[in-house]
Amino acid sequence: MGFDLAFALSSVPTILGAVGTTLCVAFVSCIGAAAIGFFFEMVRRAGGIAGLTVGFVIDFIRSTPVLAWLYFLYFVLPFYGIRLGSMTVGVMGLSLYYSGYLAEVFKAGIDAIPKGQSEAARALSLSRRHAVIYVIAPQMLRNIAAPLGNYFVSILKATPYLAVLAVPEMLGRAFDIASETYRYTEPLVVAGLIFLVLALAISNGVKRLERRLLAVGSR
Amino acid sequence: MPASLFDIWLGILQGLGTTVTVTLYGLMFAVPFALVFGIAQFLTHGVARLLVTSVIEFWRSSAVIILLFVFYYALPVVGITLSAMTVSAMVLGLNAGGYASQAVRAGLQALPSGQREAGAALGLSRAAILVLIELPQALVAMSPTFVNTLIQLVKATALVSLVTLTDMTFRAKEIAQVEYNPVAIYTALLLAFFVVCYPIALAGRWLEARIAAPGSRSHGI
Repeated sequence: MGFDLAFALSSVPTILGAVGTTLCVAFVSCIGAAAIGFFFEMVRRAGGIAGLTVGFVIDFIRSTPVLAWLYFLYFVLPFYGIRLGSMTVGVMGLSLYYSGYLAEVFKAGIDAIPKGQSEAARALSLSRRHAVIYVIAPQMLRNIAAPLGNYFVSILKATPYLAVLAVPEMLGRAFDIASETYRYTEPLVVAGLIFLVLALAISNGVKRLERRLLAVGSR
Repeated sequence: MPASLFDIWLGILQGLGTTVTVTLYGLMFAVPFALVFGIAQFLTHGVARLLVTSVIEFWRSSAVIILLFVFYYALPVVGITLSAMTVSAMVLGLNAGGYASQAVRAGLQALPSGQREAGAALGLSRAAILVLIELPQALVAMSPTFVNTLIQLVKATALVSLVTLTDMTFRAKEIAQVEYNPVAIYTALLLAFFVVCYPIALAGRWLEARIAAPGSRSHGI
């Protein structure tokens, strides 16, 4: 058989056509994961029983595979009469799974801000709300921008997991072509290369961003 | 009589052997790759470094699920027939090794240059400095990162269920075909991975705390 370059090239447009779906799924999942992760971290910081519980939930999520979470949501939600599209379930799964990791990112981002910052805010008689909005949050954003970007790349690389739920992202399209033609190698290689290029391009951008932010920090 | 959560959990644990085997074989690829390529990236310059970096980036920046399918379907096409176990261990292992290689390189780069200079002043060769002075310190400092990579590797083994290996995830899907109880089955699957990975995570935290302690003491002269 061997590798048929012409066939591989002919599969490029179909697979590339799903690049939008892949990026969209990754972007929405990243926002979802950041929102849940920030909420988790705020509850954990508050302490008490709720804080300990959320701390355990974060550990639990980080100790279990994303594939198991996707199956869990995909099969358990309909059992309770909740019928959602596979794309929605996939985005929920990725958001939930990566929220455990982003909670740690927020934790590190807040811990890295010197205590003097919030003390200075209080000395200037800023309210707690204003202190968080004008003093803590901007510095936290600078601390988390690079790790957040790296997790966006991780989420992007996890989107092909959604092919097992029949979401038409790039790997799903590649398998569609494969099952029509009984040729697996070419479409899979094409999908793999497109993912590699995307991941390298975005992580390069993140690295550049990190360098710029570090330069600002050193001033 | 419907099976209880515990029965289902025991049924899923029948796949634990495969999960552990893939992890151990995976480590046999991951550890040498991480050491060789991490050290090579630290030592080389110019074109050689570019080559080393491209190999690392191929394994590290690709989507691991696609790598697994590509190697599973494509290797026979070019005449290489490997078992699903070997392909899985190689792909998952080299992917984890790619991540770990960055920890090795970062650990070596983070050492103060005085360490190498002191070795040179004592007349040690570059190789001796690397093996006797730099690596022991870098590997200790990086061991919590290696533990995290190990957890990622264990979790990534869930993928082998997609290439016909009977691991815990595959067992869950098998049980789901005879038993309509998705809540119990997939809760049991999550719990099965949790009991494997959580102790490793706790060990990693203990290790991290232990490493941090003597370092802070040595400066308290």
